[in-house]
Amino acid sequence: MSNPTADWEKVGDRFYRKIQLYTAVFDQDLELDNYIVAGAPYGGALALHRDEEKLHAYRGTQAAKSSIDIYSYAGKLIRRINWDKGSIKGLGWSEDEKLLVVTEDGTVRCYYDFQGEFTQFSLGHGAEDFGVKACRFWSTGFVALLSNNHLISISRYDEPRPKLLAQPPMETVHSWTLIPPAYTLSRSVEVLLATGQTIHVVDASDSEDRLLQNGPFTHISVSPNGRFVALYTEDKKLWVISSDFQKKLSEYDSRSRSIPKDLRWCGNNSVVLAWEDEIHMVGPNGAASKYFYDSRVHLVADIDGVRLITNDVCEFLQKVPDVTEEIFKLGSTSPASVLLDAVDQLEKKSPKADDNIQLIRPNLIEAVDTCVKAAGHEFSIHWQKQLLKAASFGKSVLDLYNSDDFVEMCETLRVLNAVRFYEIGLPISYDQFNRLTPEKLVQRLVNRHEYLLALRISEYLRLPTDRIYIHWACQKVRVSTDDEETICRLIVQKLTGKRGISFEEIARAAHDEGRGRLATQLLNYEPRAGRQVPLLLSMEEDEIALDRAIESGDTDLVFFVLLQLKKKLPLASFFRVINDRPVAMALVESSAREQDRELLKDLYYQDDRRTDGANVIVGESLRQKDTQSKIDKLKLATKLLQDSKESTLEIKSLEENIKLLRIQEALDKDLNESFTGISVNETIFKLIRLGQWPKAKKVQSDFKVSEKTVWWLRLRALVAKRDWMEIEELSKQKKSPIGWEPFFNEVISAGNTKVASIFIPKCTHLPVADRIEMWVKCGLLVKAGEEAFRARDFNSLEVLKSKATGSAVNEIDKMIAQLRPSR
Amino acid sequence: MVPQAGIDAGIIKDNARKDLLNLLEGVRGKKNLVLEKSLAGPINLFVKFSTLQDYGVDKVFWLENGNVDSSQRNVVFLVRGEKAKHAQAIGEQIKRLQRNAQANHEFSIFWVPRRTLVCDKILEEEGVLGDVSIAEFPLYFVPLEKDLLSLELEDSFTELYLRKDPTTTFLAARALMSLQQRHGLFPRIIGKGDNARRLADLLIRMRSEVTAGVDSSASNSLMLTLTPSPTIENLIIIDRETDFATVLLTQLTYEGLVDEVIGIQNSQAEIDSSIVGAAPPPQQSGSSSKSPVLVQQTQQDRKRKIQLDSSDKLYDQLRDSNFAIVGGLLNKVARRLEADYESRHGSKSVSELREFVSKLPAFQAEQQSLKIHTGIAEEIMKHTRSDLFNRILEVQQNLAAGADPSSQHGTIEELIARDCPLPMVLRLLCLESCISGGLKPKDLDNSKREILHAYGFQHLLTLDALEKLQLLHSRTSANALSIGQGNISGKTNYSQLRKMLRLIVDEVNEQDPDDIAYVYSGYAPLSVRLVQCVLQKQHLISLTRGGGGANAVSNGAQGWRGFDDAVKYVGGKTFDEVQRGEEKAVRARMILNGQNERKTTVVFFLGGITFTEIAALRFIAAKEEGRRQIVICTTSIINGNKMMDAALVDSGCGT
Repeated sequence: MSNPTADWEKVGDRFYRKIQLYTAVFDQDLELDNYIVAGAPYGGALALHRDEEKLHAYRGTQAAKSSIDIYSYAGKLIRRINWDKGSIKGLGWSEDEKLLVVTEDGTVRCYYDFQGEFTQFSLGHGAEDFGVKACRFWSTGFVALLSNNHLISISRYDEPRPKLLAQPPMETVHSWTLIPPAYTLSRSVEVLLATGQTIHVVDASDSEDRLLQNGPFTHISVSPNGRFVALYTEDKKLWVISSDFQKKLSEYDSRSRSIPKDLRWCGNNSVVLAWEDEIHMVGPNGAASKYFYDSRVHLVADIDGVRLITNDVCEFLQKVPDVTEEIFKLGSTSPASVLLDAVDQLEKKSPKADDNIQLIRPNLIEAVDTCVKAAGHEFSIHWQKQLLKAASFGKSVLDLYNSDDFVEMCETLRVLNAVRFYEIGLPISYDQFNRLTPEKLVQRLVNRHEYLLALRISEYLRLPTDRIYIHWACQKVRVSTDDEETICRLIVQKLTGKRGISFEEIARAAHDEGRGRLATQLLNYEPRAGRQVPLLLSMEEDEIALDRAIESGDTDLVFFVLLQLKKKLPLASFFRVINDRPVAMALVESSAREQDRELLKDLYYQDDRRTDGANVIVGESLRQKDTQSKIDKLKLATKLLQDSKESTLEIKSLEENIKLLRIQEALDKDLNESFTGISVNETIFKLIRLGQWPKAKKVQSDFKVSEKTVWWLRLRALVAKRDWMEIEELSKQKKSPIGWEPFFNEVISAGNTKVASIFIPKCTHLPVADRIEMWVKCGLLVKAGEEAFRARDFNSLEVLKSKATGSAVNEIDKMIAQLRPSR
Repeated sequence: MVPQAGIDAGIIKDNARKDLLNLLEGVRGKKNLVLEKSLAGPINLFVKFSTLQDYGVDKVFWLENGNVDSSQRNVVFLVRGEKAKHAQAIGEQIKRLQRNAQANHEFSIFWVPRRTLVCDKILEEEGVLGDVSIAEFPLYFVPLEKDLLSLELEDSFTELYLRKDPTTTFLAARALMSLQQRHGLFPRIIGKGDNARRLADLLIRMRSEVTAGVDSSASNSLMLTLTPSPTIENLIIIDRETDFATVLLTQLTYEGLVDEVIGIQNSQAEIDSSIVGAAPPPQQSGSSSKSPVLVQQTQQDRKRKIQLDSSDKLYDQLRDSNFAIVGGLLNKVARRLEADYESRHGSKSVSELREFVSKLPAFQAEQQSLKIHTGIAEEIMKHTRSDLFNRILEVQQNLAAGADPSSQHGTIEELIARDCPLPMVLRLLCLESCISGGLKPKDLDNSKREILHAYGFQHLLTLDALEKLQLLHSRTSANALSIGQGNISGKTNYSQLRKMLRLIVDEVNEQDPDDIAYVYSGYAPLSVRLVQCVLQKQHLISLTRGGGGANAVSNGAQGWRGFDDAVKYVGGKTFDEVQRGEEKAVRARMILNGQNERKTTVVFFLGGITFTEIAALRFIAAKEEGRRQIVICTTSIINGNKMMDAALVDSGCGT
């Protein structure tokens, strides 16, 4: 086995390595030079599109057709998408391997699987008129540059909202790039535009000139962590600066006569310049190393390195990870390196193995850890094994060691090796795998229809498998040529007993494919009622949809179905549908009450709910301004109720209401006061207050208001009017239907003790103590005393005496004296 | 995720705040916030206006006013997603702004608590769906206190019982589901009432749907949480419908009376500053005045917003006491404060003096709060001393005690003639109807006529709504109360239950209560008695059967056991569901957590709870402290007036 350091190269004081991933990548006929190449992050697929600005050899009509070809890194063609949509100005990937294609007129297509299925939207903001010039992508979005220098950003693809960024100056853009939102201070995307001598930083709200003088910059690139910017100047120099433009970190003179084709970051600490067939890798402090190729090289940057693609070979260039360097560096004496050597000795059955172990005994744990980590970064299976063996050997010597990392690494490496296999062609590194997460890796496999591998990996890593089954089933539904019965049986057979299977999704796929019956069959297996609703609606199974929505308890769904139905059905049939479904009925009623009263009236009419119908009209009458239209509405309501026997009270009330309105209208005119709108009692009250007792009396008899009520009203009105005369007048009456106590109470709370006291002797039914209290309230202590005296209440007199002042004391004393002998 | 022990209101609060602030942070730069009115209160409970300002909120507008201006480029709508009319309003405002504005607006909508299909549809029809970025703000439970979670759905009562709209039930199920996902399944769901049954069914359905795997990311942890909870004992769902009468009675605890007389909204009461004194200068706003969410409101200087929650130590002491003893308590506190304050003369050394000074701020806060509550208590006293109040209370107590209802009509008639506020009159009539199974047809017609005459004919609609609510009805209409027989009518039979559950307790010690009946000075709320049927079987048996524990229920009995007979007389469905998990997982759980002695019981009041019931439940919780913790959940806080408001037409525009 070759030494792992064979492909290492020292740049400055660091080591870089170039790992050969796959050979014989592309057909020799494919002139890579003529293609635009875009690679998905984390070792995903490659998209190739022929560069329209370049001439190419004519190879017959077939080849002349424009297409976007999706390849794996190993050169396997995954899918060819025929393209007839016009000139492509942007080709890129999202983190979850959606392929984005942006055309000159601002149309964006998002291919979300590898089957050519896509969603489409348009950029707007003038993109159709001015045309898209170029696009730059980040993990979840992109920015498009229009020919008028406007910038449009899209930050998500599930609900794209094209946003116009601030307006940069109208100058020629030499080059441009962006800093993804995750790495900017503002948390929104920032675009770096190289114009003139300088660079403009543009975000959503403003565009700022960074005032550089060394431009124009022909290339610009931002490091994966967003902290550094690499610039290539017209005088062949490469600059690396911090992304806040505060610090210049290094400078490198390429001395090349031609302009490089591409400039990319390799990890976060070196920059790669690519010419046709030459690569310069520039590390920190301007140290560089050069590589030469036979043909055109394309660069695809990733978070921890850069992939180099030629027709023959696909390579991965990265900084040698620290742990790997520690072990393999020539002359390394690190514990891990010694441990690795020990395994070698062990295989040779040499006693030196033990010597080695004894040598590093104190650092053994660290050595084991390092070996485990280094194994992860190794692409060669041989060295992975060797390192893990070393770790295992070291572990066996240790008394206590937590093997979790070791076990996990073994599992991960199995997965990584499986997907790196050339037939799969996902050359993902350990760091990339950790960033991507195992779930997303499985998703990538599913998209490539590698169901078996996906399942195995999911089970191996204990991940949910539902998505895999669903995807498989959907695909089955789409492409299978079997009859529907067989497909359904097959799917159900495979999927029953599996957790989390959404039959709704499969049914939808069947529906979209035009297999209606299959869709219905599959839908019956969906356990979640709510999920079935949208599909049922699009299958025009309206009533079932409504039932399912009600079953789910989610009123939003019910409402949604009702909205659709109301639009679709004639009113009568709509009412028929909701009639025997109380929940639906209630929802329609309550929403109509707020928004559509006519609908409500129709509903009650159809349903023969007269009282409810009449009430709606009564409600309307309340909102009328003038009396006549109020009366008209009330009459209408009365008519509606006329036939029913049960609503006599309602009818009578409505008639009375009309009568009241008429009377009030007359009173308004008569007395020049506003009566309209107040109640019967209030009318009487007001009339008394205005001194219109006969008129009040008339209203009483018109509405048969009880005598008690009228007495109360009269009392309150007179008190409010402070008409003490009238009240005194009343006191002369023999009897009051409400008794005399209320008179006392009301008058005294109005503060008139004199008039109040008149009523005390009239409250004959009250106990003496109460009457004494009443007198006291009026401040008439002597009177109170007399009351007590009459009742021969000695104690009360004592109490009163203590309260009394002035002459009252004597009077009460007298009474007490009179009482005393009798005891 | 390791399930937390017990339900922690603090965490729920923190999460809500974090969620909201994250959303606001997502919109760059300054923004105008358009808020639905009914959300302002709940939001104020967990985030202050000043914090919102820190996150770039410039001005706040009411959605209902429709007056958002174009002073900021960013416009954020924070609105409940369950109402179609809100989506309509948003659509119109966006279109208006787009027409008028010079600047290009960025619109965001945060739907509370979830984005709905209907609102999407409406925005689409309005043609603005493409111009807005939409997010969800999943605000379900808002903690009012550490033992009290509320959905704060103001209209929940109207929607549930008048409109028969089950949205509230669904949202409640979602909210309870989130508790289950955090703490594990409720091992037992016990409940009473038709809507409660529906809620339990929804919970069971949602559970099966979650296990069926709503989420493809369903990993092991979720599976683990969907096994019965080790910390929660059970969930008791009480449907408001089972016991309307309790709400109709006048609440007699301090907090209850504050709610009745002044009104408490989202733990805040708006009180005339002549009663509680002017607000302290805003800079050093003490414990009592949180800066209100809305700028518009600070202008109203005559009214002052008082925060009523346990951050006010004095209020925490007073709130659940019967009002009769509040005066005494306030006196005691006043004397203690004075003594403490006087103690400064006694302090001789410098260190003693320093100690005194360090206590001063707390001291002032306490004094401030004492001043406020003395003011409030006096105001309430004015009310409780009034003739009207006592008349009303008298009728209520007579009705509750089972006196002949017809004899009360004289008083009611008098109240009407004296123009007593309509809600109070209606409460009395409804109370009679609830307790004695309807009014005699003649009485009912008379009362209706009197009400229409006294308060206006528009109340024909009010009366109709009350009948729809089943609050007011005639005794003949097929639901006559057949005393002695079982409960056929589906209505709560108070006359039976009065004896069986001892709803009336004559001897009430308000100073040192020994039964929940103290909260209504002699009437024990039926709803809470039902909770006792589950939690305090022994106590209730000794209470109802005079201590003769001959056929006492064994300690281990669960659910309704032992009270099945009584529960039959309560209206609505009865249920008792046990949720089991997979054997293995359950056992694993047991081993992981050990046997937790003190478990939590969640009591959910569907359709609203009164402060008196809360006080009664807290009373039970205090008695049960050693054995269990009680967390009260509800859709909203309710009282009799709010209940009547559901039915009342406002004469301006009808219902």
